[in-house]
Amino acid sequence: MSQLSRRGFLGVAGGAALASGLAACAGTGSGSSSSGGGGGSANTIDFWSNHPGKSKAAEQKIIAAFEKANPKLKVKLTDAGKDYEEVAQKFNAALAGGNLPDVVVTSDVTWFNFALNNRLADVGALFQKNGLSTSDYVDGLYADYRYEGKHFAIPYARSTIVFYYNKDVFKKAGLPDRAPTSWDEFTQWAPKLQSAIGNGKHALILDDGANYLDWTFQAINWSYGGAYSKEWTPTFDDPKTLKAATVLQGWAKSKYLKTSADSASDFGAGLGAVLLESTGNLGGFKDLPFELGVGFVPAPGGIKACPTGGAGVAIPSGISAERQNNAAKFVEFLTNAQNTATFTQATGYMPVRKSALKEPSEAAYLQQNPNFNVAVQQLPKTRPQDYARVFVPGGGASIGQALDKIVAGADVAATMKALNGTISSAYNSQVKPKLKS
Amino acid sequence: MTAPPEISAPAPRSGPPAPVGKPPRRSGRPYGEWLLAAGLLLPNLLLLVLFTYRPLVDNIRLSFTDWNISAPVARYIGVQNYVAWFHDGNSHQVLLNTLIFTVATVGISMALGLALAMLLDQRLRGRNLVRSAIFAPFVISGAAVGLAFQFVFDPNFGMIRDLADRFLGVSVPDFYQQPGWALVMVTTTYIWKNLGYTFVIYLAALQGRRADLDEAAEIDGASAWRRFSKVLLPQLRPTTFFLSITVLLNSVQVFDIINVMTRGGPQGYGTTTLVYQVYRETFVNNKAGYGATIATIMFLILLVITVVQVRVMDRGMNS
Repeated sequence: MSQLSRRGFLGVAGGAALASGLAACAGTGSGSSSSGGGGGSANTIDFWSNHPGKSKAAEQKIIAAFEKANPKLKVKLTDAGKDYEEVAQKFNAALAGGNLPDVVVTSDVTWFNFALNNRLADVGALFQKNGLSTSDYVDGLYADYRYEGKHFAIPYARSTIVFYYNKDVFKKAGLPDRAPTSWDEFTQWAPKLQSAIGNGKHALILDDGANYLDWTFQAINWSYGGAYSKEWTPTFDDPKTLKAATVLQGWAKSKYLKTSADSASDFGAGLGAVLLESTGNLGGFKDLPFELGVGFVPAPGGIKACPTGGAGVAIPSGISAERQNNAAKFVEFLTNAQNTATFTQATGYMPVRKSALKEPSEAAYLQQNPNFNVAVQQLPKTRPQDYARVFVPGGGASIGQALDKIVAGADVAATMKALNGTISSAYNSQVKPKLKS
Repeated sequence: MTAPPEISAPAPRSGPPAPVGKPPRRSGRPYGEWLLAAGLLLPNLLLLVLFTYRPLVDNIRLSFTDWNISAPVARYIGVQNYVAWFHDGNSHQVLLNTLIFTVATVGISMALGLALAMLLDQRLRGRNLVRSAIFAPFVISGAAVGLAFQFVFDPNFGMIRDLADRFLGVSVPDFYQQPGWALVMVTTTYIWKNLGYTFVIYLAALQGRRADLDEAAEIDGASAWRRFSKVLLPQLRPTTFFLSITVLLNSVQVFDIINVMTRGGPQGYGTTTLVYQVYRETFVNNKAGYGATIATIMFLILLVITVVQVRVMDRGMNS
């Protein structure tokens, strides 16, 4: 065997160094020993947010009011990512490397993994310890963050899905000025909508699977009586779920449906007649080139077919008790009735406080902007999401990938069967061993 | 006739000369030089060990665990992650994506870089401006380029759609929803961004070559192709070798453009390469142990490729 020359050896060593630099990019933090030392200052509350619903200005306004009311405390608003997933990634990095925030935005999909791994404080207990009440929060929204009798977040930028529609196109298609009562009715309307909106545009726009199709499709699935899972047992191969997925594929095959990485922008540009999206988009739909309609998600027979969504704010378990107490005070202030009104009016998110609806400014705002009121009126028709999407790590992403394939024409039954296996595997390896009961 | 010179017998090698003063080192270098070399090398070696090789060892250790990135503890599970990766149907697509992306970016950017360097090595009017224009995208961040090219490839309002519609009268595919076209999109974007790198390195090599060889070949009547293949390319071999390694390693590392433009999709794994799968498993699916496994596999693949490249190039140089 020939020997490597010195140049050859140096080349290999350099290559190995570069390659190892690549290899080292996965989880170099010592996950086995880190307890999240915390760091940070007791008098400065570091608030990590992605500013949901373009809410940075509203958050800054609330922070200024908090600092005025609490002169000894400062709040640092940190841009922690462009969406909930990036905030979670940054928080994971902090868990491994230290320098934890005091308050962090956690979404419906991201909070549970942190709670399961004991990374979040029990905010219910913290509120109680600091003489703060949680009774005014909308019960269902507060209960969304409960696990083993503890509450791991306070509802903040909470949303539901609503049915947005282009009234001009509906009028041109000769359809009534309302959302359909079922997705079957929408399917009947789709040819007329398609004809009215024209070539190159679509009757329906949904997020694609890399974004939030797994969330919005849940509403369609529920309306057909399907579900992603029954508690921890995945039910993607249930006939009702398969029916809903087949309907989705049918819309795509007929060219009524377009999935998009930025469905709200596409809809706002007039590329779709209907959009199924978060109430949080309402704040951005202010200068549309058409008249906007907002309706309930189709729910035949009055069933609850609308998932809640959005995010709460959580407090890490790995910071000092003093920092946790200060953080609890800030969280309570951030979500008090007055600030809830400020935040919802700026973004379109739902009021998370019952008393916020009695705030004069909120009542007047809802009266002047009836579209914003739709989400509030729809709240009793909402229900918590399926475990497979929100509690199984990577569940939402896996569902989105499968739905993308179905939209592209893949076999529905085979794709859903494979998804069942993926979700079961993730649950068995990452959740089941850690469940205490 | 003169007498032949007297040939004296060589001195017998009976042993070392008698020691005089301090004995020299076996290598003949004084201690001072060794100390200087150690002083210069140690800081870099220390950094290399701390920030490259130690994380590598740590990564390999984690690859045998089930570490959830949010968890404070990790459980040893042997080679389960490796078995799972080789049995995962998506792994094959990820490998194929990585292969296509890497071969295309390395091949096209090197060929185009050389072609442009040869063109702009001529005395042309405005060549400095064009050189700067070609190199400029290389210094722009990948995220910014990805964002800009999202608009270029937008199926509704993008520049490509507009040009195809206006001049060719054809419709363009939806680059964001069709996996094959999405891979073309990110590959094209990556090449556009990084072309300046191969261009500049080749240009420097061209300017340092022996022009007299080319002139001699021309006088001898060699055709342009023969002058290129038999005179120029051999002179550029060290540069080509250097570029083939660095461009390959950079291509395999691509993350920002894919993350901004497609997030590894469409349809799940449409543009997911090995390094993006590491990110996805670690930070999206929280399976940091599994992500470490993929990173280790990637390291081994790159190591093998690099060794093969070095050996092939070494053989070429020696011949």
